[in-house]
Amino acid sequence: MKQLNRRNFMTLAALSGGALAAGIGGGREALAGSVKIPSVESSGRDFSPTTGKERKAIPTACWQCVTRDAMIGFVEDGRLKKLEGHPNSIRTLGKLCAKGQAGVNQVYFPDRILHPLKRVGKRGEHKWKRISWNEALDTVAGKLKELRDAGTPELFMYQYGRHKASQAATMYDFMGAYGTKTIGNHTSVCEAAKWTGQESLWGGMYDNWDYDNTDFVVIFGSNNFETHTNHIPTSQRLIRAKVDRGVPLYVFDVRLSNTAAKADKWVPIKPGKDGLIMLSMINVIMNEGLFKKDHFKFMRVTPDYHASTNDKIAAVKANVAKFTPEFAEKESGVPADTIREIARGFAKAKSACLVTYRGTVMHYHGADQERAAMLLSAITNNLDRPGGRVMGVGASWKHPSSPKAKVAKTLHIKDGFPGEAAYPTHHVSQQVWPMIKDGTHGRPKVYWWSCYNPAYINGDNKGVAATMADESIVPFQICTTIVYDESAQYADLILPDVTYLERWDWEDMVSANQIAEFYIRQPLVKPLGESRCQGDVWPELAKKIGFDLVYSSKEDFVRQSCEMTPGVKEAGGFEYMKKEGVWHDPNDKGNYGFYEQEVDASGDGVILDAQTGVYWNWKKTGAKSEKEATSAGYLKTSGSKGSYVAQKIGNKTYKAYPPNTSFLKGGLLDFYSDNFAAKGLPAFPTYTPIPEHQKMAKDELILTTYKVAVHTHSRTAHCKWLTEIKHDNPGWINPKTAAERGIKDGEAVKVSSQQGEITTTVHLTEGIVPGVIAISHHLGRQHSGVYGSGKTSPTPGGASADPDAKNIWWDKHGNHPNVIIPNWSDPISGTQRWMDTVVRVKKA
Amino acid sequence: MGTARKTATEAATARSRVYGLLATVFRAEPDADFIRHIKSPEVLGTLLGLGVDIGSQFNETPETHLLEDLAQEFTRLFLGPGPHISPYESIHADDANPTAGQLWGKQAVEVKAFIEEAGLVYDNDFHDLPDHISAELEFMQKLAEHEAQLWQDSRDDDARQCLAIERRFFEEHLGQWVPRFCEKVVVKAEMDFYKQMAILTSRVLDYERDVLESAQTQA
Repeated sequence: MKQLNRRNFMTLAALSGGALAAGIGGGREALAGSVKIPSVESSGRDFSPTTGKERKAIPTACWQCVTRDAMIGFVEDGRLKKLEGHPNSIRTLGKLCAKGQAGVNQVYFPDRILHPLKRVGKRGEHKWKRISWNEALDTVAGKLKELRDAGTPELFMYQYGRHKASQAATMYDFMGAYGTKTIGNHTSVCEAAKWTGQESLWGGMYDNWDYDNTDFVVIFGSNNFETHTNHIPTSQRLIRAKVDRGVPLYVFDVRLSNTAAKADKWVPIKPGKDGLIMLSMINVIMNEGLFKKDHFKFMRVTPDYHASTNDKIAAVKANVAKFTPEFAEKESGVPADTIREIARGFAKAKSACLVTYRGTVMHYHGADQERAAMLLSAITNNLDRPGGRVMGVGASWKHPSSPKAKVAKTLHIKDGFPGEAAYPTHHVSQQVWPMIKDGTHGRPKVYWWSCYNPAYINGDNKGVAATMADESIVPFQICTTIVYDESAQYADLILPDVTYLERWDWEDMVSANQIAEFYIRQPLVKPLGESRCQGDVWPELAKKIGFDLVYSSKEDFVRQSCEMTPGVKEAGGFEYMKKEGVWHDPNDKGNYGFYEQEVDASGDGVILDAQTGVYWNWKKTGAKSEKEATSAGYLKTSGSKGSYVAQKIGNKTYKAYPPNTSFLKGGLLDFYSDNFAAKGLPAFPTYTPIPEHQKMAKDELILTTYKVAVHTHSRTAHCKWLTEIKHDNPGWINPKTAAERGIKDGEAVKVSSQQGEITTTVHLTEGIVPGVIAISHHLGRQHSGVYGSGKTSPTPGGASADPDAKNIWWDKHGNHPNVIIPNWSDPISGTQRWMDTVVRVKKA
Repeated sequence: MGTARKTATEAATARSRVYGLLATVFRAEPDADFIRHIKSPEVLGTLLGLGVDIGSQFNETPETHLLEDLAQEFTRLFLGPGPHISPYESIHADDANPTAGQLWGKQAVEVKAFIEEAGLVYDNDFHDLPDHISAELEFMQKLAEHEAQLWQDSRDDDARQCLAIERRFFEEHLGQWVPRFCEKVVVKAEMDFYKQMAILTSRVLDYERDVLESAQTQA
């Protein structure tokens, strides 16, 4: 091309002028208004393009993990500079973890998706075209309207990984108004067995541990100090208990986690034996008379609802008689004397916390292990008491609700294959894609996922990816995301999500001190590019389909919620929350002893059920008359669960533990569970060896997975500050295990299972029990930008333009263990059995 | 109006128009009207006269296909997902500042402040970052347009001040990164249209550098 001179430049200008005059092009102009430069004569001041700097502190909330700490964002010149804990939060007490502080990376990583993109090549071919939001939503609305008009709204499936509080409420509101109940979640890959176990006993209450008041702590398979569903609120309280008050801490774990390392004693244990140890501790406590009688009246341990405390004590003893410390030692590798020592300490302490998490429950019969944990807490009177295992308390927000659709249906692909799980109370999310592939139980025509990465986070994740890639299985796939990842690559439409630092929410995560904290998330910066919050998408999409929601934007939803939630409203509502970020009732004394409340059972229609001792209101059931209700009884009358009033114990009527989940039960803690018995499951907590572990060959190992302090499962790999700290995940194996295989520290190994094979390296350490390989599960990314996947973009731009990309000093990016873990479920709860896979490890 | 003033008005108007054209090219995928305008024999002839050959592919592909091809090429080149040439100054800035290479980095903040100080605001319907190449080109378009008006109104001192602001924005921002951006586009573009537009942009910026420097010398 020629150099430009004045003459040909003027020619170019003429043709440019033609185009401009016609107002053609394709996009909108960026700038509005007119140039106003103060006149030289009138202003007398010099022109300065830079403004005085103002740093604003804005209260908001984290979303890196489910803990969702209240925090403060500092913004300068419209750019988020840093994040800190909210000093007035009663949950976090002003602290924020490393993941939380690296939230800044979420907003500004250069690979971020900023525009709606439509697939133009084949699925997985990575060919895309930008489209407008209007076109994107017209497309989605067209497909959803067609399904709705045909009376098949259930063929639209929505699945989320992390949706909580108002993010979930707005989504459920839209889906309710639209009419699909085919809504998938991810809880069964997290900890569903824990909740199912608890629900079968004390209803819809979930445990928290009262570290502020406790005298003794025993942890099974949970890593409080590094990573936890309520990490910052609980870990600092546990440290304080230990350091300030000298509270003993015992940690049972297959791995020397940093929690175990800070304990008075790390007790190495074979995988899947936690429940057995608890039963053995119960054996010691019962046989040595160390139990406390107080809670027995609220317990049911035999089919008889009216058994005396002495009968119950005898029954518990009988049920755990075979689980002697010696038997437990043989099975678990934990010395009998250690079991006795910890059991005695636990029982004799004024109060004690028993903590369990994934290490305990992500197994075959994981839900039953949780029931054993509840039993151990109950016989020592540490349930719902200060210093013990208490009921978690979160903020109860009120929020507006849109009118529901007249037709609302579901596809039966959320709860696993028929017969797979007896009580999938939190669904079986790992089987959604296998069931879609199978096709027998129906397939969605539109599948939309958000804040979720099914082709990475599930077992057999490569199998999931292959199903998602097949255009003949689900014809239209929509992904709302901030980053191109293992699943987004198979979308037909990518919608650019905002990060949590650019959106509104009210929040409700559990407090660690039994007092509910109400808090909000507000945008720290304007959403980058065309990214848009799902809560802003729903009202617009609804309008396009032909119905209205009762809120116009996520901000409006949060505003309305603040103005209708008791307490928050009186404190000043939305304006107060925007300014302060957090609120709690200063007069709240904390939630303890819920079950001991005495209740008036004299209302109209309330009758006593002779079999269970439950007071229930037959008028709220399907019974036609009192006579019919009395004759059928509480447990056999349809709709009786919602009619529960109280539990008669002795001469008193207590609120006790109402059946407020899918389990129909009386008001007692059902340690003897008719529900379980009816489905051939253990009616009383027991020890069920994991079938695959019983058949292991001598050279086989058990694969377990775990989390580290600086990553979430799938949403932080592109955060450079975190990936610099943790970017490799060699499998931990014991030197003894390694020696048997001739493997040296750092060497490459092949790890193979029934599902497949990966090649990784090993870290030899005494910090893992023999017979196990433990691999953390955040790394080995196929996509997720240069920090996540290690793939430097071949062209400038994207993450490789970040000067820090040149500073990547590591060349390892880890391996993903989920590739070799099958999607298989706990037959009780449907929980994914992350910790049960049998593998062979050989030199590569 | 004096000849010198008339010439200055014409020069500023011409520069404004060229900036406007380039802003249009990088703002979004071209629409059908824009393609038709470019395809008109008069415009093609002018471009060819400048040595800008956008190729037979552009002429021979049916319009609907061409629109689709250009949209895909635009997405692949400038939006991603995956490897792309990010169209933001902060990404390309050669700077030791910790926010260099990041979205909404130091340069984005400076550009926004610069533009707003000049009395303009980002349109409510503009959903991109402040340092997008098209926003910077459009800013120069509007400054030059304003400058032309000042010359026409015989406000010579204000016009010279406006020109000084243009020069400053060019030196501090546009001229700092767009030439490097264009080099990357030339290498990675698969369609001649974007390759040639990148070359044209480079040449325009070379010309501008001379114009603005000589204006400074004259002032």
